Amino acid sequence: MHPQLELLLELQDLKTQRQALATEGLKDVESEVFDLRPEEALQILDTKIDELAERLDDPVRARFCEVSDSVGRAVAPVLNGVCYGCYVAVPTAWSSEVGRNDRVNVCSHCGRFLYYVD
Amino acid sequence: MQLRDFFSEDAIKLDLEAETKDEALKELVGILGLDEKSQGILFKMLKRRENLGSTGIGRRIAIPHCRSLVVNRLRVAFGRKPSGIDFDAIDKRPVQNIFLIVAPPLEVSNQYLPVLGKIAQFGKEQDIPERLAEIQTPEEFLALLEEKGV
Repeated sequence: MHPQLELLLELQDLKTQRQALATEGLKDVESEVFDLRPEEALQILDTKIDELAERLDDPVRARFCEVSDSVGRAVAPVLNGVCYGCYVAVPTAWSSEVGRNDRVNVCSHCGRFLYYVD
Repeated sequence: MQLRDFFSEDAIKLDLEAETKDEALKELVGILGLDEKSQGILFKMLKRRENLGSTGIGRRIAIPHCRSLVVNRLRVAFGRKPSGIDFDAIDKRPVQNIFLIVAPPLEVSNQYLPVLGKIAQFGKEQDIPERLAEIQTPEEFLALLEEKGV
């Protein structure tokens, strides 16, 4: 896997966790069942998110921020040849390629970074 | 929706080899059958969640959980370590029963939170730690889930 893609996945997962923790539902479960203090947890996550974002190459970070700001999730999984960010098919040649996660792919329709889930 | 429907026998390990929390997380992630890189990313996410606060809810039970892009559907696993593992649990006691839950960021049927809630509810039942300790086979574990009707 391309190191920048790996970073993007980690970053997106952390942002997902942050978003979930800031909303009702998971926030309640986390505090009631796991005795978690959401406000403290959010601060820790923000620090980690900033730290990971700093490690992205400049053009990758610029796109990540731009797409995040415009559509929320900047990294989308590809399942059965479809980008699960915009639900548009990605080129067949990309999907069938061996080592397809060894480079940083971008959806030509929505601009999200793509991660091929096996 | 019943918990029983989410567990498969190959994702139940009644004698974990792990001696530490990290090893236990890795061992449970390992039985999900993901590629090595995905396992590494998932382990890091679970660790980051643990760093926010332990998922050891007390009564010898832990429920590590996270969402990650590396899985394409909700996955659960169960691991047991009869001698216990230090999980920095709420009650400070070693954990013997570990329920792992991972889900993609988006799910069509949005089962992550309900499954998490059901496992927590299951774990809080008075007789569960003892019943889990008595289990001999994965089939018996699944039968216990069915019996409890969660």
